[in-house]
Amino acid sequence: MDTKQLKIALRNCGITDPENIEDYISGDGYAALGKCLSENDRKQVIEEIKRSGLRGRGGGGFPTGKKWEFAAAGSDKKYVICNADEGDPGAFMDRSVLEGDPHSVLEAMAICGYAIGSDEGYIYIRAEYPLAIKRLRIAIAQAEEAGLLGENILGSGFSFKIGLKYGAGAFVCGEETALIRSMEGKRGEPVMKPPFPAEKGYMGKPTNVNNVETFANIPAIINKGADWFASIGTEGSKGTKVFALAGKVNNVGLVEVPMGTTLRELIYDIGGGILNGRKFKAVQSGGPSGGCLTEKHLDTPIDYESLKAAGSMMGSGGMIVMDEDDCMVAVAQFYLDFTVEESCGKCVPCREGNKVLYQILNKITHGKGEITDLDKLKNFSEVIKSTSLCGLGQTAPNPVLSTISNFYEEYYDHVVNGKCAAKQCRALIEYRIIGDNCIGCGACKKACPSEAISGEIKQTHLIDQEKCIKCGACIKKCRFNAIVIE
Amino acid sequence: MGSVNDLENFRKELASNLKNTEKNKVIIKIAMSTCSIATGSKNILDYFNEAMLKQSSSYRIITTGCTGLCHSEPTVEVKLPGSEPVMFGPVDVKTAEAIINEYIVNGKSVDCVIGRN
Repeated sequence: MDTKQLKIALRNCGITDPENIEDYISGDGYAALGKCLSENDRKQVIEEIKRSGLRGRGGGGFPTGKKWEFAAAGSDKKYVICNADEGDPGAFMDRSVLEGDPHSVLEAMAICGYAIGSDEGYIYIRAEYPLAIKRLRIAIAQAEEAGLLGENILGSGFSFKIGLKYGAGAFVCGEETALIRSMEGKRGEPVMKPPFPAEKGYMGKPTNVNNVETFANIPAIINKGADWFASIGTEGSKGTKVFALAGKVNNVGLVEVPMGTTLRELIYDIGGGILNGRKFKAVQSGGPSGGCLTEKHLDTPIDYESLKAAGSMMGSGGMIVMDEDDCMVAVAQFYLDFTVEESCGKCVPCREGNKVLYQILNKITHGKGEITDLDKLKNFSEVIKSTSLCGLGQTAPNPVLSTISNFYEEYYDHVVNGKCAAKQCRALIEYRIIGDNCIGCGACKKACPSEAISGEIKQTHLIDQEKCIKCGACIKKCRFNAIVIE
Repeated sequence: MGSVNDLENFRKELASNLKNTEKNKVIIKIAMSTCSIATGSKNILDYFNEAMLKQSSSYRIITTGCTGLCHSEPTVEVKLPGSEPVMFGPVDVKTAEAIINEYIVNGKSVDCVIGRN
């Protein structure tokens, strides 16, 4: 429909029946696996993926072919793991791929197994995705039935089986070492790297972990060739990226665009602009690890390096759009609330440091901030980033740092002037009645749950600020625009 | 399937079967991902399953995954024989009725078209 999109990872989503393997095969399903088994040796498959320039779509952006090459070394028992522990607030790319096209992921895992010399794979998926789990189970059973998974696949002598492991929904388990520990039945806590999973992963064996979207790209690359894939995108970022466009845009949804598409094209051309004609304020990419970009970044091309240089990151594909009614301090506080909750607690900087960041932000949004708090936020953030054990802690302060650098005036306004321009921080706003507009109808007085409004009928009413709980009930009832938030 | 050839032959067979059997059918695709179901696509699927029984045209209803159009779920894509598919959304029982009675039966356009491929 819109020409700016290009669907590779989502090529079958919304088109074929995910519960019917024949639908998948009638396109070009399992052709890539067949091609690998009959025409290519293991090294050629890895070479092809390396040449395509595909990089990890979970957020890290590590070259997939290289990852496979590391895991392929040695002849020990090996494992292939698909990371489907999608946890960023507002992100649903992996869920949609698994629900809409589970066979593409199974096929890709088998190809990976063949390439690195593994006969066993697992999909680590959150238990909160019951529909995706159901469809994966159906898909695995159908593929086994058809001889496309299991022993001696297509008579090639190559065997590969896939199982499911369920995550309990801890954000940190998306980090590959924590994920592996969780799969082993241990606490989902990250461990030091090296050794990398490619050397010592699941059950101490070499393990290759890739994200759902990364895998979904693989069959298309094998079928259409590395050159085709490498011709799409930018110098350092090839192919496409799926984004879950959410927040205050008209067309929320799942989009897939070639790398190098600008944020403006994504938000305005595909997203249809800001809801209710409001003004664009910021876009948050990369989830709790990413940052907020502003108007001046709108022409930034979407690729791993450009987003990083602009102060955010690619991340797994969450893209939350904010308008002028969003308070950036409150947004930073929201993300910190999330990371404090999700920190596994193993290392001190992440466990204690993020809590301190949250408390300072909380102080600011409650009107008790001081100007020195802004420096404290920056200093603590830098220490947490450089001393945390895993990616969660190393990136958790990013929302704070990016909002301070891009929206410094807003922080300043909160701590020095005691004002919240977006009128979101309750402690910094007051509801007032404009005498000229008030006709004394009494509607607000009746609506007020805390009896803060006084005044006789047909006389100007008054809000007692001591009693007002700032719920906004009065403003909803007033038909004469007589109540304002200041 | 015992070999890559078997797979390729099976694919050809499936593709030619589909081509023959679906040529004259109305193809109705209903998105059934988490977001679609949350907005009520199960009711729409039930409605189509029941209402299409009463129609004379031959048809196939396919449940698919996410179309990416979360803003317009539940979505329904209809392909009439010989024409390009048309995407409808958001569809409720009333518009579903119109899609069948107006678009599928008479080929007339219906209000909630999102796009044409």
